Amino acid sequence: MKDKRAAGLAAARNNRDAKEKSMSRKLWLLGSAALLVGLILWAGLAITAPVETNPLELRDQEVVEASPRSALPSSPTPISDNRLKVFAQALALVETQYAEPKTTKELVYGAIQGAVGTLDPHSSFMTPEEFKELQIETKGKFSGIGIEITLKDRLLTVVSPIEGTPAYQAGLQAGDQIVKINGVTTKNMNLTEAVKLIRGPKGSKVTLTINREGFPHPRDYVIVREIIPIRSVKARILEDGIGYIRVANFQDQTDQDLQNFLRKMRQRLVPFKGLILDLRNDPGGLLEQAVRVADEFLNSGLIVYTEGRNPYQSMRFYARAGHSGDRTTFPMVVLINEGSASASEIVAGALKDQKRAVVVGTKSFGKGSVQTIIPLEDGSALRLTTALYYTPSGQTINEKGITQDVVVEEQPLPAGKSLQKLRDEAMDRHMRREGLTDKPWDRPITAAELNQDPPLKQAVELLRHWPPKNLAQRPPASP
Amino acid sequence: MKEHRVVNPWRQGRRWQRICQILLCLILAAVLASPGQGASAQDYDSLRLLTEAFYEISQKYVSKKNEEDMIYGSLRGVVNSLDPDSSFLTPKEYKDYLDGQKGPAAEAGLELIIKDHLLTVASALEGGPAFKAGLRAGDHILKIDGKPVRNLTTQEAARRFQGKPGTSLKLQVLRNGLVKPLDLTVTLEPLTPTSVTSQVVQESYAYIRVRFFTDATPGELATVLKALARQVPPLKGVILDLRNNARGTMEQAIRTASVFLGDRQIVITKGRPPQSEQTYHGKARELAFKPALPMVVLVDQGTGRAAEIIAAALKDHSRAVLLGGKTIGLCGLTKLMPLNDGSALIITVAQCYTPKGQKIQGKGLEPEVAGKTPPPGDQAAKEPAKLLPPDQDPWVIQGVEFLKTGKPAQMAQKDAS
Repeated sequence: MKDKRAAGLAAARNNRDAKEKSMSRKLWLLGSAALLVGLILWAGLAITAPVETNPLELRDQEVVEASPRSALPSSPTPISDNRLKVFAQALALVETQYAEPKTTKELVYGAIQGAVGTLDPHSSFMTPEEFKELQIETKGKFSGIGIEITLKDRLLTVVSPIEGTPAYQAGLQAGDQIVKINGVTTKNMNLTEAVKLIRGPKGSKVTLTINREGFPHPRDYVIVREIIPIRSVKARILEDGIGYIRVANFQDQTDQDLQNFLRKMRQRLVPFKGLILDLRNDPGGLLEQAVRVADEFLNSGLIVYTEGRNPYQSMRFYARAGHSGDRTTFPMVVLINEGSASASEIVAGALKDQKRAVVVGTKSFGKGSVQTIIPLEDGSALRLTTALYYTPSGQTINEKGITQDVVVEEQPLPAGKSLQKLRDEAMDRHMRREGLTDKPWDRPITAAELNQDPPLKQAVELLRHWPPKNLAQRPPASP
Repeated sequence: MKEHRVVNPWRQGRRWQRICQILLCLILAAVLASPGQGASAQDYDSLRLLTEAFYEISQKYVSKKNEEDMIYGSLRGVVNSLDPDSSFLTPKEYKDYLDGQKGPAAEAGLELIIKDHLLTVASALEGGPAFKAGLRAGDHILKIDGKPVRNLTTQEAARRFQGKPGTSLKLQVLRNGLVKPLDLTVTLEPLTPTSVTSQVVQESYAYIRVRFFTDATPGELATVLKALARQVPPLKGVILDLRNNARGTMEQAIRTASVFLGDRQIVITKGRPPQSEQTYHGKARELAFKPALPMVVLVDQGTGRAAEIIAAALKDHSRAVLLGGKTIGLCGLTKLMPLNDGSALIITVAQCYTPKGQKIQGKGLEPEVAGKTPPPGDQAAKEPAKLLPPDQDPWVIQGVEFLKTGKPAQMAQKDAS
């Protein structure tokens, strides 16, 4: 290949032919040797690979599992497929001739991305780093000290310590400036970097140098990291006996948090006139949690079913009685918008189809497919669409979305924002307890707050004049 | 709620397992056989990872995938992980590619790259069909005629935008800053043959626009410059506009740069072997513009390939100052390599460096003078970009100001004061 550029076209071709001939001879010899090695290793793998790894629960899926690998056919198969040879040929060419050296790993990651790219848009490949990040997100908890931080006038500032966390117990206060983390100055540090430094394994220590009004000089706080739960459910109430619950995403413990709020609300609000379940901009999460949340409001009947190519991907999920069935009697409105996807759509679809709730807002996103996360050997993972969801009435959610009973358009979105950004911001506000959920759950929503949120206002109006008159399909009347 | 089921190995699974084993062995063999390369344990692990991924997809994806799609898809993935000029052609695409060498009857006037795994507009030819439809640099194309464009190589994508004059394509386009994708319709047209236009701004400054490069560009440019040199009052400076220009070969670039630089060094290419380095000089006879008038070259995020070579050469020889925004960084020599089944690879075998040795590929050129940012809100607007006449174009005005006030050194001092 050295004389590639110097040689004329014909010479180059002859040269390549010769090389190919000698290469193919080598290839044949080494190929058979490698085949043997491959067979041995593969057999080893088949014996040692566990049939099922620890089930990990992840986004929109049931169980993560390793493939059951069957025993090898005993005789090597004759190489019949030209395409496979072509793949090998191409990879070798890129490895040897591309302008910059590329590691096999980079190329293989590219190849997997490419293979996954032929599938649907929800299937993807995650590098080990991306996979790790996802696990933190979906687990709904991480190990840290429990503060929300922000950059205020370019200074790293504590927004609020979360009650009951190490930061709270150590005495950190809202407005504290973090001057150093473990002795490293936070000057010019961005939020992500700061969060990275503050987080760490459970039980380990982090030293924050804090500047506070009234301190003569910055003071060190040594704080032991713990597991911090991220809450996905927030709530408020209305004076006249209506409860409001906002679910930001579906993660571990979403159902428990929802149950707790509902219980507290029903003790506080007598009579309980109805509930607004806000699923706007909720991108979804765990299928299992969606089923549990829907189950909370349903006595019986189908919640959702999935259908896949393989029989074991097809499942039906039913509501069970026993969730203090009386809960199923109060009037209910579900708020959705085009940012409501997946698990949110399952809940909205089930409650709508079973006539348990009136759905208000705009048409939902339409992501009705189940993804299974399949961890690969090196810590990377595949996210594969393995089944499609259907609402109890047999409607596919995929690409169609859930249609609302009552249309309430939201205010037009400010220019310069993507849906993803909008969701991220909604999540951030939710985490910072800004907007509607920035106040304690038992402080009633004011008329001014309602006026800022037309769909919510519409939902409240519906509950105040229950049952809705102009709806053909009417949920059961209030008790 | 969780249901654990034992899955019986079925026939199809066996077939895929075999395929994966064969693939693994083949790749390993091919890599081992390649000169000067030995497959390490790490290589082996990586390849096993690939077969593992194939196996999982074949077994668990919601619908059945055929092998050809998967293999060709992964080859697209490999080349897309390299650079925008590297490509993979299926046998049919390769045939079309060979047929299409003559140049299409009509096209959209688009240069495409892959960015964040999405098909992205690198530049839309000014006044061309895509430009008129409202596409601009940075737009991601999600669908063509309702079909999602996932995992296309840039070559194949470019071919989708070629065809008979009058052919309409419906595009779904994601623009940074807009919540919802835009629906745009592009009607293919033959490109106007003229690549160079010019006009005089503020009485004595020449504004020369090169929209793309063809073999005729150096000649057109020379003619335009000769006419301008005769104008009264005499010229005081030249603005060469290479914005949104990512089309042209290395040869066209060298000849065009020669118009200003004569036989000086224009570009250097380097491949992997150390001895592959080559230096390209211009030709003295192409030199058409002798007056040492100050010159500003306008570049932006749509400036690539030939335009980058020219801008870099003019800058490195201190013949011009670059003004505007950072360029794409798209400059390499590709080689077509047919594969055994009639498909083909196009891969970059050498990359461009400026005469001073600065790498262009993947880096782009940073202009010495940053163009003033356009008014906010403009970026995300849905309306097609307006074609401003040069004397109202903010960067052209800025360029003329720069030419009036002086050299880069003086400019720097001015900034500091």
